[in-house]
Amino acid sequence: MTRSSLTRLPALTLALSLSAGFAQAQAIRIGVNEPLTGPFAASGTYVVNGAKIAADEINAKGGVLGRKLELVIEDNKSNPTEAAAVAEKLITSDKTPVLMGAWGSSLTLAVMPKLADYETAMLVETSSSGKITTSGNQFVFRISPPSALEAEAFAPLVEKIGLKKVDFLAINNDWGRGAAADFTKMLKGKGVSVGLMETMDQGAQDMSAQLSKLKGSDADTIMITAAVDQLTLLFKQMAALGLKKRVITTGGSQNPDQIIAQAGAAADGTMHLTTFLPWYPEKTPNPAATAYFIGEWKKRGFEFAGVTESFRGYDGIRAIAAAIEKGGAADAAAIRKGFWSVDFTGLNGPIRFAKAGPSGSESGQSKPDVYLVKIDAGKVVVPEL
Amino acid sequence: MTRPSRTRQLPALALLAALAALPFALGHDPYLLNALITTGIVTIAAMSLNLLLGFTGQLSLGHIAFFGIGAYVSALTSLGFDVELFGGLRVVHEPWPPAVGFGLAVLATAACGYLVGRLSFRVRGAYFVIVTISFSEVVRLVALNWVELTQGPLALTGIPPLGLWLPGLGTTVLRTKLQNYYLVLAVGTLCYALIGRLVASRFGRAMRGLKENESLALSLGINATRTLTLAAVISAAMAGAAGSLYAHYLRIIDPDVFLFSTTVTMVIMVVGGGKGTLLGPVVGGLIFGLLPVALRPVMVPEAQWMVFGLVLIGIQFVMPRGIVPGLVRLVARRRPAAASSSPVPAEVRP
Amino acid sequence: MNEFLQHLLNTLILGGTYALLGIGLTLIFGIMNVVNFTHGALYTVGAYVMYLAVTALGLNFFAALPTAILGGLLLGAVLDLALLRPLRGADMDTTMLVMIGAGIVLQSGTLWLFGGVAKSIPTPFPDAPLQLGPVSVSWLRLFVLGAALVLIGLTYWLINRTRLGLAMRATFQDHDTAALMGVNVRLIYTATFAIGSSLAAAAGALLGPVYVVFPQMGGMAELKAFAIVILGGLGNVTGAAIGGFILALAEELGAGYISSGYRDAMGFLIIIAVLIFKPTGLFAKAERIG
Repeated sequence: MTRSSLTRLPALTLALSLSAGFAQAQAIRIGVNEPLTGPFAASGTYVVNGAKIAADEINAKGGVLGRKLELVIEDNKSNPTEAAAVAEKLITSDKTPVLMGAWGSSLTLAVMPKLADYETAMLVETSSSGKITTSGNQFVFRISPPSALEAEAFAPLVEKIGLKKVDFLAINNDWGRGAAADFTKMLKGKGVSVGLMETMDQGAQDMSAQLSKLKGSDADTIMITAAVDQLTLLFKQMAALGLKKRVITTGGSQNPDQIIAQAGAAADGTMHLTTFLPWYPEKTPNPAATAYFIGEWKKRGFEFAGVTESFRGYDGIRAIAAAIEKGGAADAAAIRKGFWSVDFTGLNGPIRFAKAGPSGSESGQSKPDVYLVKIDAGKVVVPEL
Repeated sequence: MTRPSRTRQLPALALLAALAALPFALGHDPYLLNALITTGIVTIAAMSLNLLLGFTGQLSLGHIAFFGIGAYVSALTSLGFDVELFGGLRVVHEPWPPAVGFGLAVLATAACGYLVGRLSFRVRGAYFVIVTISFSEVVRLVALNWVELTQGPLALTGIPPLGLWLPGLGTTVLRTKLQNYYLVLAVGTLCYALIGRLVASRFGRAMRGLKENESLALSLGINATRTLTLAAVISAAMAGAAGSLYAHYLRIIDPDVFLFSTTVTMVIMVVGGGKGTLLGPVVGGLIFGLLPVALRPVMVPEAQWMVFGLVLIGIQFVMPRGIVPGLVRLVARRRPAAASSSPVPAEVRP
Repeated sequence: MNEFLQHLLNTLILGGTYALLGIGLTLIFGIMNVVNFTHGALYTVGAYVMYLAVTALGLNFFAALPTAILGGLLLGAVLDLALLRPLRGADMDTTMLVMIGAGIVLQSGTLWLFGGVAKSIPTPFPDAPLQLGPVSVSWLRLFVLGAALVLIGLTYWLINRTRLGLAMRATFQDHDTAALMGVNVRLIYTATFAIGSSLAAAAGALLGPVYVVFPQMGGMAELKAFAIVILGGLGNVTGAAIGGFILALAEELGAGYISSGYRDAMGFLIIIAVLIFKPTGLFAKAERIG
């Protein structure tokens, strides 16, 4: 029976560590379910680093309810099935009473049934598909804007920029397709015509074919939804094809600094909808917190480019800490209840959860600020419109 | 038809008893049960791969296609779909019970197995290997891009769990880990017994004959096409059954179910445990399925995969026939009399 | 029409590196009868050596390219000496499994060393493209095409005009006779594997700067190389060169006019179609059935 004793080993060590932990004030464990490998690895890693800054800051100030926070970080490999498995592992094996995750919309949607199964709340920090908060999952609390909210925030700018006809190029998943659908709806309502809807696989490297097609279209603007690595490739390939149209990216995951660093002049003139303004800390809703966060980020030797992703990890953990505080206990039910009383100013606006989705089983949705920035001669600027 | 004697079944029966008792020994720990269930499912697929790889000697590296097709067919049958085909033909399917999905998964994959089996006679060697890999990649890309049907990378979610109808008890929906564990164990045992019967039959001798000396087998009147096709059909159907179990257990599947790395895992299970033996894939499956669980606390996944790669290389050099034949030979060497009197060649001994 | 011309130009650029990938694989199969499952990993290694040479070593872009090719050559030689030479005479399945294992070790090794985050290689070329009437092409891609064609030419020269090439061709036709005629077959095998590997590394080093470099980049490249080689007939160098361009054309037109999602499926559909209708490949002689 060597095999069974071998597999029992982790369970035993877990049991031992649990009983040892109870003697002293045991840390409150927070499960972090992020893509650390695969196509979204860069972004997931940034979010995790932001989360660590928040946990360290809170722990240095004495923790929550007199206990330290401990992040249990797992890699969901940018894959939905893996994300669901990771959530199950975090809840059942690591006994985390609350989760943060899972970056991508498809990843988050895959995790959601597990949240309901185990009645454990998850703070959604990045995903923007509308489905997440409209499907009646009571365990989801989101601080990132759904694409409909983003489209709504963008609506007043449509005429100022002068959009006439728009083509879409989106990553082929819940995020990309959802964003394209929500923006299409908003644009049509504003009398703007919508042309092509091109998609690309999340791991695709060569988009020349799609771009050649977009080059031939008569639209004046291309709206793109993709993660930063793919955007970099897209801008380079657009430059190579001599495709010069107005480009606006959506989704809050564009990371303009990384684009400038990797795509160079190819990124000039592109516009990006973002939810954080780290270039102008004084213009953010909470300048003191922004300055502290950026300072800490630099102190740890991370690239400045990462802050547009990592601030969500930072705000996410702070929201979870606030929920634990408000709930008054570190168990799943209390934390979930606590989320509804969270109210503080995050790095991109107030974080408090409004009810969203079918009545009786609402999800929580916070409403962050949305900004439009432009890359101009290798610098990020807020365009005067 | 020579039936394997009771004593030769002893190790397998002992293993079955141990596996049946395992959840109680583990105290129903959900994480370990989960690892055991997924390991069990992949092990069933590995057993089916062994039928091709071990018994007929066809290195099929697209086996994951059958597993994935089984998973998707079963999931779509029980979820329902509404797609428009070329020419405006609209196909609407209302959800059917998962058990029907399981049955359709087996049938659909058996049909795919038939095609691949026919093909395997057209192309051999390296060509066969590459065409099987291509087959699984094409299926993966269809699953990824036919969003209307498969949801593509959005994954099929909310797949209902399997229900089991028992006389006198009515239908029980298998929701808990423990129920799923015993379901997988039962299906696994059934597949094991089926393969055992098959291998000991006339058909099994034909397969081995083709593997060892094709021209001799052909001259003895063995119908090679029929034998290889039948083996492929049965093998594919079992992999499809495993895929269906997987879909209804995880209740979510995405196109990554078709990744080549899962085929590699199955190959390591078969080759490591002992290809062409009954018990080999089971032993290999348990070892290499649970190894990641044991390695998880001590090394990162990349390092685990490096270990897997090194094991695959090492086996070819150190123990080319796998663990089970290695053990059998060790035992046989201690009891030479018992071994020499055995009527069954070492290849098929469990 | 302009869109179509642009697709054709894209095809030409992509086809060059595809041909390079295919030639390396087909050479190894033709002479050694080994299906090289480390081909994709060698492609990845080539790209990472290029990345390291440009960023960490601070080498000039044009000096980094030969460094990456040399890296592939050395790694290929090591793989042959460590894994394939001891297994000479073993059946093809055994070597395939060993090569799969080696591919996994190399790929997971890169992931371990460099992490999953994609890297980009800086290039000395201007961002503004070269405008050719209605179509345009970046200078980098033009360089990639040129370099690929030069490398293909070098490979041809090596096979047809050198003593090593003569020995390789002799081994290809009949290794027993070649051995009797005094050819050091073991050395030819090592040289072949090293050369084939260096071509894979070259393809990675050339495409790395065009796209981004990440540990899993070799997986799809390897499958495409299989498609190219099947298309041209296993062991047929010219077939692989043409096959590379055909695959690129099929992908580009497929993505442009059918659906961009099926871009990568083209290769596999080609494999399956070729094997059903003309199993020896489009350009192979009949006796070369595997």
